Amino acid sequence: MAGLAKNVRMLTRYYSSTSAIMTRPVVKTISSYNCSRRGSPVKNALPLVSSQRLVTPHERSYSSKPPLTLKLIKERVILVLNLYDKINPEKLSLDSHFINDLGLDSLDHVEVIMAIEDEFGFEIPDADAEKLLRPQDIVRYVGDKEDIYE
Amino acid sequence: MSGSLTGLITHTRRIQIVYKKALRSLEDWYDRREVYRYHAVLMRQRFEEVVSVNDPRIAKDMLSKIEAELFENQHWHPRKFPESPGGVAYGREVIPPDWVVDHWHPLEKAQYPEYFARREERKKEYVKHWAQKYGTSSYVPH
Repeated sequence: MAGLAKNVRMLTRYYSSTSAIMTRPVVKTISSYNCSRRGSPVKNALPLVSSQRLVTPHERSYSSKPPLTLKLIKERVILVLNLYDKINPEKLSLDSHFINDLGLDSLDHVEVIMAIEDEFGFEIPDADAEKLLRPQDIVRYVGDKEDIYE
Repeated sequence: MSGSLTGLITHTRRIQIVYKKALRSLEDWYDRREVYRYHAVLMRQRFEEVVSVNDPRIAKDMLSKIEAELFENQHWHPRKFPESPGGVAYGREVIPPDWVVDHWHPLEKAQYPEYFARREERKKEYVKHWAQKYGTSSYVPH
């Protein structure tokens, strides 16, 4: 069922992108119409630029996120953890324990979880956060949340 | 919230929960990142003091003072994640539960014969698995 919904979403996205391409001639004709009415070549430049900007294909539609994979989630989690100043990137691996291996304390753990929340854009409840003690757990949790298993 | 039904949580967990709330509240008030970081560092120092206190009675008192202060300084329009309760996209996408498919009209089901044939097989397998795991029930209809 969720797969079906995803397909439909992809389809609508495809259609929206094609419609964005389709608008090109319409916009051009409108801008040329405006230009011909004004008649001065100096003023022509502005509408043309704006029409070009309208036409650029949107990489992301506003209603959906780019598709995730487990590999991508892993990379993003590791990147976030590498950027945290109290973690030594050389010691960091997917299976290292935040408190035992990396030497973080409980307040640092809260900060790490908040960084992960900000990265993936959803809230992690406190009850779940206390179980996420390894990067691997976080990857798995995010994957479960976003319905990604491969 | 606390994750336990009894409401009993350890001191560490309570500090963590209050710390997270405090940081989020700071994020509400200071939208410029560097300003937020400055206040976050100050807040961290206050929590470090709470952590360093050995007497649990004093630590608890300090923590409840911070909590009361947080309550006083709540933001009037806190930031929420889109999918969280109170967020802009909360409940926007409703994913129907799997059993809804069983209640389709037979004519609707007939449009996807292969899928529903396999689904029936899977259901039988699941019943078998259930019986193997938990045993058959001794329920007798009257």
